[in-house]
Amino acid sequence: MTTSDARPWHCDEETLAAFALGTVDPVSGTSVETHLMTCAECRAAVSRLYPADLLDLVWDGVRERVEAPAPGPVERVLVGLGLSAETARLLVSVPAMQGAWLVGLFCATGFAALATTLDDELGLMTFLAIAPLAPVAGIAASFGGGADPAHELVAAAPYSPVRLLMVRTAGVLATSVPLAVLVGLLMPGPAWLGVAWLTPAAAAVCLTLAIGPWLGHTATAAVVAAIWSVTVAGAARMDDVLALVEPAMQILFLALALLGATVVALRYRTLSTPWRQS
Amino acid sequence: MSSAVLSHVSKRYGRTEALHDVDLTFGTGVTGLLGPNGAGKTTLLRILVTALTADGGEVSVLGEEPTTPRGRVAIRRRLGYVPQETGFPRGFTVFGFVDYMAILKEWSRRSTRHPEVRRVIDRADLTAVATKRVKSLSGGQRRRVVLAQALLGRPDLLVLDEPTAGLDPEQRARLRDTLSRAGEASTVVISTHQTDDVAALCERVVVLDAGRVLFDGLVDDLIGRAAGRVWLSDVAHAAAQHTWRTGSGRWRNVGDPPTGVQLIEPALEDAYLLLVGDAALDTGIEAVA
Repeated sequence: MTTSDARPWHCDEETLAAFALGTVDPVSGTSVETHLMTCAECRAAVSRLYPADLLDLVWDGVRERVEAPAPGPVERVLVGLGLSAETARLLVSVPAMQGAWLVGLFCATGFAALATTLDDELGLMTFLAIAPLAPVAGIAASFGGGADPAHELVAAAPYSPVRLLMVRTAGVLATSVPLAVLVGLLMPGPAWLGVAWLTPAAAAVCLTLAIGPWLGHTATAAVVAAIWSVTVAGAARMDDVLALVEPAMQILFLALALLGATVVALRYRTLSTPWRQS
Repeated sequence: MSSAVLSHVSKRYGRTEALHDVDLTFGTGVTGLLGPNGAGKTTLLRILVTALTADGGEVSVLGEEPTTPRGRVAIRRRLGYVPQETGFPRGFTVFGFVDYMAILKEWSRRSTRHPEVRRVIDRADLTAVATKRVKSLSGGQRRRVVLAQALLGRPDLLVLDEPTAGLDPEQRARLRDTLSRAGEASTVVISTHQTDDVAALCERVVVLDAGRVLFDGLVDDLIGRAAGRVWLSDVAHAAAQHTWRTGSGRWRNVGDPPTGVQLIEPALEDAYLLLVGDAALDTGIEAVA
């Protein structure tokens, strides 16, 4: 290093080169580092000694750490379960995986549980009316008009509509099914009731997905919800709500689910977007 | 070579005819699309980006047929799109949203995707806000976020629907720079109400009105049509199709001038107003200007 009593001192080029390469001894390195904090001339000199691509590499690394958002807890769990980071990101961006929807779902199933404390029959009817429609509402929230604020951009992206459909539907089912199953297990009556609603739910989801691209997912979900609600109310009037989930009806719902799934499998591949064009 | 060819294209929404027998080709360079509200500009752009299917006619984009699934995917892989309006999923930062769109554009490897995301964020002048939530940004910044995602992968066809809405003059100038550079190697189609953007950026302009092509040609040719039909006066002229008081206190008149008036050089806006106004007079409908 060069020093002078009259003028500010500067690091010599050899020391700066060693510093840039990381081969300087620790004591000199500390001294150079302290000096660089106050000397613009030496900072400029040392920056010229770094290879440009190394600086770019370091800068990119810094930006990567600062700018790229860290995955949230749900994303980390999904990656831990074996999903790619990209699929996990698409999954958590599904509208049905986000706050307002989850609060609504929690309130709806909680309402059914609350109704049970007042009256077993009322609770059972409320649960059977709500549980199969929870995933249908999620489908409407994920594919319905205006539900996805970026749907115009998504519609012009090359990502497969079928794959997008599967990712979003998986997101809907992952949020709505476990909670409803849990509430179902708390219901009065036979234990199988906790899962018996899954076949009408599957039928409702598959039919909504199958008809949605033509009628609109929100409108289809509304029609499906109305039909199911009338059916449940009719069964309740005859004091036989459980008849809706007995074996004969289970077979009927399974057949409807298969019909809807077949339409989805055959038709979505040819669609321009998973939702209705507007 | 043409990037997009529309032949006898038509589109209806119920009883409303959005496009009628439209024939257009788009090639390398920046093409401006002008027209009053409801002229069919957005419908045309949505057909180009495969978000909408034409009812009739033939469409070819980047050599592919948008009517087949394979063709649509091939087009979308080489496409950048800025829609007129879009929202953003909740909670996304600028980087997070552009990264999300990059995933949807099949950039599946993070090691190549993130540098590309950084590139387009820099290109859209968003570096300083890359970590901010999109919802917290101004309207102009959000438009630039949408532009950033459209620039991913240096698309061969860039379609922008009113990209300058909400931008301040400096941002508009930067956007013009970005688009003019993109237009050197790609096909850029811009729909706008800002005639000065078209005059500043585009060599070619297409004017749509009521779903029909009123003009398709060079910007200078359209301006030339207004020569001798724009004049200044000290009072408003009732005979003019359009007249307004300028900042200097004199009246600018557009239409068929009376004799002896002071004619001036027309601007693209004058020519556009005359074109749409003349068309309305020809068809007997009220001009929308």
